[in-house]
Amino acid sequence: MAAFVASKWSKVGPPLLDNLRSSRLLEPFGKFQDIASPGWNGLLFQQLRTFIQMRTKLKVVDNSGAKWVRCIQALKGRKGARLGDTIIASVQEAQPRGKVKKGEVVYGVVVRAAMQRGRCDGSEIRFDDNAVVLVNKQGEPIGTRIFGPVPHELRRKKHLKILTLAEHIA
Amino acid sequence: MRLEKCWFCSSTVYPGHGIQFVRNDAKIFRFCRSKCHKNFKMKRNPRKVKWTKAFRRLHGKDMTQDSTFEFERKRNRPERYDRNVTMETLKAIKKIDKIRVAREARHHKMRMKGKKGIEQKAAERELEQGISLVKAPLALREESSLTLSKIKVKVSQPQAEYQMEE
Repeated sequence: MAAFVASKWSKVGPPLLDNLRSSRLLEPFGKFQDIASPGWNGLLFQQLRTFIQMRTKLKVVDNSGAKWVRCIQALKGRKGARLGDTIIASVQEAQPRGKVKKGEVVYGVVVRAAMQRGRCDGSEIRFDDNAVVLVNKQGEPIGTRIFGPVPHELRRKKHLKILTLAEHIA
Repeated sequence: MRLEKCWFCSSTVYPGHGIQFVRNDAKIFRFCRSKCHKNFKMKRNPRKVKWTKAFRRLHGKDMTQDSTFEFERKRNRPERYDRNVTMETLKAIKKIDKIRVAREARHHKMRMKGKKGIEQKAAERELEQGISLVKAPLALREESSLTLSKIKVKVSQPQAEYQMEE
């Protein structure tokens, strides 16, 4: 290939060579393109998601009246609670005429967790935020409506009432 | 059992593989591997990332419109099981796959049609520009043995112009 091109080129002749020397010789080295570094910033700033443990704030996604609760105890697991686990929490913020009041200690089921959780088939699932549905000690939901998606793993945890109330099951 | 498509790279996600992210509006994003998940977290647009199917389709790299793709479409109504139909489907899968591969090869061939000429021209250009790196221009001009005899004949006319310029 190179030899073929060389033979073709040699037909051009010396005058062209002069031109080459004068004008084109330095040109290929003249411009230096700035190679932009790829955006690794996104990776570096990724927050590592972790268990729901003591002092984790969770959003309440039912109409029990509470807005935010703070986890004070995970009922299962040494490190903390995960998707589908039950926690004990204290109500941080509540609506005026709700079923629960601020400062009350309540039980809740974690229906959404930002930390990924393995599913039965080996794949994983993660959600946007940490959310909880308030239940009583027997595991029945306090509210009558549930907002947003909930995982189907709640069926294995025997929270069928939550599943039936949910808008979407992921 | 359903084979889903990766949200980022559009490859098939087999059961038990990858991770799925559920947004608060219940939209599910499935990813085939951590590479795709990370790229999603970096907020990259799959249409702008070169290795994804979306990019390749958008830029005409891959075959986009073909009747063989119709068979792979997602259907929400489950088919009632029929042994004969299943048998025939299994047979047809091989045949359809063969056709699809052949069509893709043809598409690739058509896409690469003018490539050889372009490469040839680029190589010629590179040689023209970079011959001075191999041999100093002065040496090339002075030494007659380096240039072909054929050239000597052609030179006569331009040389006259060259002298006149000086």
